[in-house]
Amino acid sequence: MRRARWVLIAFILSAGVAHADAENPAAHGKATYGLAGCGLGSLVFGDQKGAIQILAATSNTTFGTQTFGITTGTSNCVDTAAGSAGAKIFIEGNREALAKDAARGSGETITTLTAMAGCKDAKAVGTALQKHFTQLFPEQTPAEQVSQNVLKELRSDSSLECRKIG
Amino acid sequence: MPGVRAALIALATCSTAPALATEVARADPAYLPELLASAKEKSLAEARAWLRLGHWRKRVLGGWESEADGPGLFLSPQGKRDPAAELEATLTGFFAAGDGAPSDNSKLADPSLEHPQCRFPARFAFLAGALQIDPARLPPRSCPRFEAFWRRVSVRSATLIFSSYYLNSPASAFGHTFLRLGKDEVASSGERLDLIDQAVDFAAIANTSNAVLYAFEGLFGFFRGEFSARPYFYKVREYADYESRDLWEYDLALDQRQLGMLVAHLWELGQTWFDYYYVTENCSYQILGALEAADPRLDLLSHVGVATLPSDSVKALFANPGLVRGVRYRPSARTQLAARTAGLSGGDLDAVQQLAEGDDSAGLGAMPTDERVRVVDAALDLVDVRHGRDIVTGSDPRADRLRQHLLETRSAIGVPSPPLNIPPPAAGGPERGHGSLRLGLGGGASREEGALFLAEGRMALHDLADPPAGFSPRTQLEFFKVRLSAADRPGAVRLEEASLVEVTSLNPIDRFEQRVSWKMRVGATRVADAGCDRCLAGFLAVGGGPGMVSADGTFSAALTADAELLGAPDLHGLSGSPVRPGIGPGLLLRLLAGDRGALVGTGTWRWLPSASPETTYELGLEARLHLGPVSLAARGRAAPRAHDLGLLLLMYRD
Repeated sequence: MRRARWVLIAFILSAGVAHADAENPAAHGKATYGLAGCGLGSLVFGDQKGAIQILAATSNTTFGTQTFGITTGTSNCVDTAAGSAGAKIFIEGNREALAKDAARGSGETITTLTAMAGCKDAKAVGTALQKHFTQLFPEQTPAEQVSQNVLKELRSDSSLECRKIG
Repeated sequence: MPGVRAALIALATCSTAPALATEVARADPAYLPELLASAKEKSLAEARAWLRLGHWRKRVLGGWESEADGPGLFLSPQGKRDPAAELEATLTGFFAAGDGAPSDNSKLADPSLEHPQCRFPARFAFLAGALQIDPARLPPRSCPRFEAFWRRVSVRSATLIFSSYYLNSPASAFGHTFLRLGKDEVASSGERLDLIDQAVDFAAIANTSNAVLYAFEGLFGFFRGEFSARPYFYKVREYADYESRDLWEYDLALDQRQLGMLVAHLWELGQTWFDYYYVTENCSYQILGALEAADPRLDLLSHVGVATLPSDSVKALFANPGLVRGVRYRPSARTQLAARTAGLSGGDLDAVQQLAEGDDSAGLGAMPTDERVRVVDAALDLVDVRHGRDIVTGSDPRADRLRQHLLETRSAIGVPSPPLNIPPPAAGGPERGHGSLRLGLGGGASREEGALFLAEGRMALHDLADPPAGFSPRTQLEFFKVRLSAADRPGAVRLEEASLVEVTSLNPIDRFEQRVSWKMRVGATRVADAGCDRCLAGFLAVGGGPGMVSADGTFSAALTADAELLGAPDLHGLSGSPVRPGIGPGLLLRLLAGDRGALVGTGTWRWLPSASPETTYELGLEARLHLGPVSLAARGRAAPRAHDLGLLLLMYRD
């Protein structure tokens, strides 16, 4: 529980730093992100446990709202515009669902990723991700590594014609 | 970047975008008194649109008070209780010097440091339209942070999402509602791209991990509730995947002007907080309030009762004809698993089970490709239903390995899975559900008391014999139920039962999931055995055991091991004390006749250690006939000292 809280704090701090970087695109070319990335484990569930978790569901209470505050948000994991940064957020936030769709070669996350990356055809993207599944989604890989792998695959396969992630 | 502001003002004024080349020009101070006078003349401070933008409500003792509890929504120190003062402060603020946000990059910047035009874009748009503000004399400021939010949302549609009654935790069986602001992007292949839309949520910020304190603070408004925005996929993963809650999506017929006002007003709300009350001013209440501010013609909050149930907020949408332009359904992980296993043969189901338990001897190699795909796909869904949460939090390495192995097995087959099309459940969405308040009147006869007049009431929500449309067939959840009887002699009006909470969760045991069915009841009941002379006793009962629900929900049953505790001053309880514990079996049977009727039978037997009497029992049978807005109920009961029959007319109200 304590560890989870520290991860969250580290994430919030690092996201703040990352955002400062992101606002200076000239220096980086593209945004960098905190260690915990935009994965579900660190963002959605927070450190709710047991009774509180049940009560939290009752009252729709959240421990992580600060991260997504409308005017005060600290998270970089919110902007899902098409392009590399948005696709990265999407892949990390959907790591488990995307892995399943990739293994199946089709599904909603693949359709969405295809559009965000500006690729030509979701079927072809599904086939490519399925074919290279073991390299793209190796066991015990953090979400940030997966997003790098997938974006690299989409960029390198010219037949996919992914135009928005240059 | 004046484009967004110009568009918003244009939307608000229904005119073409005013010339904003004067961006750098200074506001004309002589213009302010003119605007203030014009606002007074038009009584704008009492306009419905203005009152809704500040969330002011009439107070019981006269005057106004805003529901917003944080200071962030007001520029005037009197703003919370004085819409006119706030209007004046707002117009004055629009003339403030400075250009938009302070120039620091920190996202933790205090919103109150921003220019009032940037803090209150919806007010600005409303007043610009109502007062025909001349942009040459009051130039709009640039607002980089609001404009970034505006671009991120890129709103083209708004959808209210209802996250279903949460079966595994009937404590949250009321569900949840939030908004999705759609970009309305569509893939080249035609599919919707809902996942990358923004979801806007109103939720309490909990600041304690003590469960008792938590419940208390939540009930009495000690938590702050705040609005937040995040990509919709976080919500889908959390609710549909990891909590297995079906999502109902109600597309709202708002035009581009109303959508713009909604986004601008949500930005305003993002600066403040509202005291969060579980029952009344909760997520559903505030979401409806935001929609009313975006389109003052809507009447939503007047259609919900004292308690704002999420399902009632869906019904409030339908009370505004034409507001809902489409309903869609997003199946949860458990619903998807059921769909994937529905067509499989017994042998295939065995293989699914073996695979999901890490046993590779399922004979996949011998199957034709499409069968192999179906089996492994179902096994993957089963693993996610069983271990999804552990996998995402990384707390179970064994589950991680199991899933990874299955994923690799699946990818090696090398053919894509066909799309899984799941129709919405026949019971329909929450808008089809009966009213949660139930009142009953009738008569009966008892062997002990003779003729009886019967009256009862229940605040919420649903029991196993109520009309099934719009509810889960597996859940009973009742709050504040009271039953009265009056015999035909003076002073014989009696409270038979007062229950605070009564919950039953039927979880069918099937080959894939062995979840326990359980029940819980807290309240008071009149003792129906020789323990005392029909005294009223405090009552707490819990029970759990195996249950079954037939595929179409027609027949259900549960056999439970129960424990209960009664307490009353006159009760001959444990070793002569007024407290009487009891244990024993409980049985529940239910038969549904479609939407028309239900038959529910219950039976309990109790061993009462060191008490008098030493055992007790109760048998009950209830038949209901549903006749549109009312139902007829016939019920009978047999207990050691109570043998009665009753016939009641039940009325349901929202």
